[in-house]
Amino acid sequence: MKKLVLKATILTMALLMVGSVVFAQGQTAAQDDEITIVVMPKLVGIPYFNASEVGAKQAGKDLGVNVIYTGPSTADAAQQVRMIEDLIAKGVDAIAVAPNDPAALTPVLRKAKQAGILVLDWDTPADQSVVDLSIHQIDDKEYGQHIWDLLVEEMGDTGDYAVVTGGLSAANLNGWIDHGLAYAKTQYPQLNLVTDRVPTDEKQQIAYQKTLDLLKAYPSLKGVVGVSTPAPLGAAQAVQEKGAAQKVAVVGTALPTDSKPYLEDGSLRVATLWDPSKLGYLTVYLAKEMLEGKKPVDGQDVPNVGKITVWEDGKTVIMGPPTDFTKDNAGQFSF
Amino acid sequence: MNKDIQKNTKQIGAPQKENRMRRLVKKVHLDTKELVLLQLLIGVFLLMSILSPGRFLSVYNLQSMAYQFPEFGIFALAMMVIVVTGGINLSITYSATLSSILGAVVLVALNNLGVQPLVTVVIGVLVIIISSIACGAVNGLIVAHIGITPMLATLGTMTLFEGIALNITKGGAISGFPDMFQWFGNSAILGIPVPLLIFVLVIIATYFILQRSSFGAKVYMIGCNPTATRFSGVNVKKVLFLLYIYSGILTGFAGIIMASRYNSAKESYGYTYLLQSVAAAVLGGTDISGGFGKVFGTVVSVLILQVISSGLNIFGVNRFITDVIMGMILIVVLTINFVNNRMEEKALLSKKVVTA
Amino acid sequence: MNNIFSQIKRSKEMGILAILVVISIIISAFNSSFLTFGNLLDVVKSNIVLGIMSMGMLLVLLTGGIDVSIASVISAVTVIIGRFMVDYSSNIFLIFLVGVVAGSLMGLINGLLIAKLKIPPIVATLGTMSVIFGLVLYLTNGNWITGIPQNFIDFGRVTIGQFPVAGSDRIQGIPIQFLFLLFAIALTWFILKYTMIGRGIYAIGGNRDSAERIGMNSENITLFIYTYEGFLIGLAGVVHTSIMRQVDPNAFIGFEIQVIAAVVLGGASVLGGYGSVSGTIIGVSLFCIINNGLILMHIPTFWQKIVVGVVLITSISFDVIQKRMHDKKNIRVDIDESESSFKRLSVVQKSTSQA
Repeated sequence: MKKLVLKATILTMALLMVGSVVFAQGQTAAQDDEITIVVMPKLVGIPYFNASEVGAKQAGKDLGVNVIYTGPSTADAAQQVRMIEDLIAKGVDAIAVAPNDPAALTPVLRKAKQAGILVLDWDTPADQSVVDLSIHQIDDKEYGQHIWDLLVEEMGDTGDYAVVTGGLSAANLNGWIDHGLAYAKTQYPQLNLVTDRVPTDEKQQIAYQKTLDLLKAYPSLKGVVGVSTPAPLGAAQAVQEKGAAQKVAVVGTALPTDSKPYLEDGSLRVATLWDPSKLGYLTVYLAKEMLEGKKPVDGQDVPNVGKITVWEDGKTVIMGPPTDFTKDNAGQFSF
Repeated sequence: MNKDIQKNTKQIGAPQKENRMRRLVKKVHLDTKELVLLQLLIGVFLLMSILSPGRFLSVYNLQSMAYQFPEFGIFALAMMVIVVTGGINLSITYSATLSSILGAVVLVALNNLGVQPLVTVVIGVLVIIISSIACGAVNGLIVAHIGITPMLATLGTMTLFEGIALNITKGGAISGFPDMFQWFGNSAILGIPVPLLIFVLVIIATYFILQRSSFGAKVYMIGCNPTATRFSGVNVKKVLFLLYIYSGILTGFAGIIMASRYNSAKESYGYTYLLQSVAAAVLGGTDISGGFGKVFGTVVSVLILQVISSGLNIFGVNRFITDVIMGMILIVVLTINFVNNRMEEKALLSKKVVTA
Repeated sequence: MNNIFSQIKRSKEMGILAILVVISIIISAFNSSFLTFGNLLDVVKSNIVLGIMSMGMLLVLLTGGIDVSIASVISAVTVIIGRFMVDYSSNIFLIFLVGVVAGSLMGLINGLLIAKLKIPPIVATLGTMSVIFGLVLYLTNGNWITGIPQNFIDFGRVTIGQFPVAGSDRIQGIPIQFLFLLFAIALTWFILKYTMIGRGIYAIGGNRDSAERIGMNSENITLFIYTYEGFLIGLAGVVHTSIMRQVDPNAFIGFEIQVIAAVVLGGASVLGGYGSVSGTIIGVSLFCIINNGLILMHIPTFWQKIVVGVVLITSISFDVIQKRMHDKKNIRVDIDESESSFKRLSVVQKSTSQA
């Protein structure tokens, strides 16, 4: 009997071993003397962060550094903390992280710093007291205001509108919405938000359903703002299906390749975003410079990215203004 | 009481004996199951160590793992004690985060008032524990007293807890605790991480409650056959009610560790632990239809999953491949158990024939 | 005996149906557009996938099994047909064929693990869930598949009949996807009601050992239901793609809980042996209507989850309590009638099972 158990267990071991070795070999080809930079997104396996990966990997190739692009498979801060702990144990030179929640990562990032690792944030700011450099694609306040400006351009500055968002606890989405709402209050007092932001679970299907409901609950609706990449598409689909594309203006943050069909049929008026691959590139570029002791300066021209802005605190970097996508230019982008 | 369970048991009638027999058979061969798990744990640990002696087998990594698995392990035990009764508790993660959010509100308020840190922390922890007891009591009330199927009941409370938590935080995280609160998740006593110590205490407590007390015996009986248990004079409602409270308290401990480790409280922390806990419990030999499951097996499974997760992460294996490997392990281990069971059952049967 | 069972059965669905009616009335009181043809059509259309998949899940639950891999299977199906129609052929018949074959095969794998290797359903499907989701996301990296062929998009836009929309001059037809939901419901109903397999499914769920003793082949039936469920998921995957017009591999994360909850809400027992097509339809409808009502009733965002939780708990509690009272009544009637010792024995048995 014991023999059988043993045999079976050995079989498992063999399976595991083959699996691990095969995959480990593919991925840990780096030598130990090479600079290793970890770029960690909120989660892997969504189009936005896939595009960033392309940029980060490209920068690694261009600059001759080893880039590890890895993150949790769900947007859970707890999983992210565990992964960073493992990476500290692995021993890397720099960790650039897009936190699922800024506060949750503070203790582990402090641990990383104590272990002599350069700590950066990208995409979404972490606790500023623990990071050496904070790389923003955009100035959050300006971006929020920009989205609302686009809304007003499309629906006019009076009337009812609603906001559909990816999730209620996504810090950066909440930031843009809060800035936009505050701006609308002073700048466009005639705009009327019909209900609090509506969560859609980062899924187009849910955004579609919720927008259908919104159209019926608030028949006077003139505009919908979709924040998070699938949300505007779901909203546009609902509006298109109800034949309300003329009456209800949908604007939001979306990738141009995914939103192209909706921009073309007019259900999505305009989308705005930055190039995520540039952001990935910039992150790796600046991490390498920092490791070599060079701090970024305001107006510095980063190859493949362009001129960056550095705030007076010396550690907040802004990549640049967003790009607006309309039916005329959506075909020109590859992300 | 749950009528479906009863309907089931009623129809069983004669074959019930046979079922009991099968259970008995299972119990006899429990050691085989645990042996498989233990071998697997040692196996994966050695494997990772050989593949990466400098990184995986470093003091730092071992310690870092010891900070990581306690919260997961506690969730797994909170799940396992309920699964033993043939139920399931889908609300564990939100019960933990709701409790820690309520505690966080108090911690922050007292901290801002300038109350002495020690007092603040003690009160905060008490609030978390009391809230988690309340969450458990709500579950217990609905499952034991009203008699809703555990899966639906805890799905309802899961949504409810998440809703209340969201309503309090408005989607953000609550932070600004006294520094002292970080002790629970980030400190070590004599080199042993505090969360690990808490986990060990939880293991010991769960072991004694479930496997060494008359209360625990009743829990297993309910898992085997609630109707028969009731007719043997056990107050099933009370046992179930208390058990859900115990599961709630465990989530409170997990909540304390998470709030401390992440230095903040938020409704979504750790939601991925839900299915992982079910996986750890069943991998550890807990019978999903109730009546069987041990603390030891669950804990070993938690360690196995942790070693694999950390190891593959250190190798830089794609996270999705990690998921695939975890799934394979689940299936392979259960298949091994099946083969073993089958062999031993056969052996037992032939023995019987001889004695007859 | 039979009579009593059918009574309980009827009452079981009546309870949840009453809740459905009450909630519908409440929502209508807040917003008159709830009970319009247009809105109900929207609700059905956005939940067709849930509806189709719930039929497969019903069979699985009836045998006392459970399947948590369904979300990963439909993700895999949508990715497979997405790639197929973009890279190979936009023939609609072939797309459906590929979809249902892929779904059925994955279902068959679950069935084999459960029936042949005797792995408990939840463990087997947790395992296949990890494996399938992991592979899907590893291979696609979560990237959407766009560029769905136009003829498939046009197929998805076909509607049947023309109905005026209240309050506007537009007309609306019933979306073609609706037919597939009807097909799934009809087929499942037929299997349960008129085939040996259907009887076997109930028998196994009631008591596997006795079912086997009277000649039911529980292994084959288990294989069948998981494959059938995979088949329905394949169908649902094609239908979903025809509505969404692109494939997002992440679109179904967490969907399994919704399907299971909707079916259980409709009175199916997670322990097997009990559940019906009509109950499932009511449960799924209740689930959808609660979600639909949230925005129609202008419930503030941060209260919505609380409302859903409370409504779920109270309506199920009501259902359970109502049923218990009903059962008590039944037992009392029996006691009055019981004169012979034989009958007294049956009362004891019944109270054992129902009190």
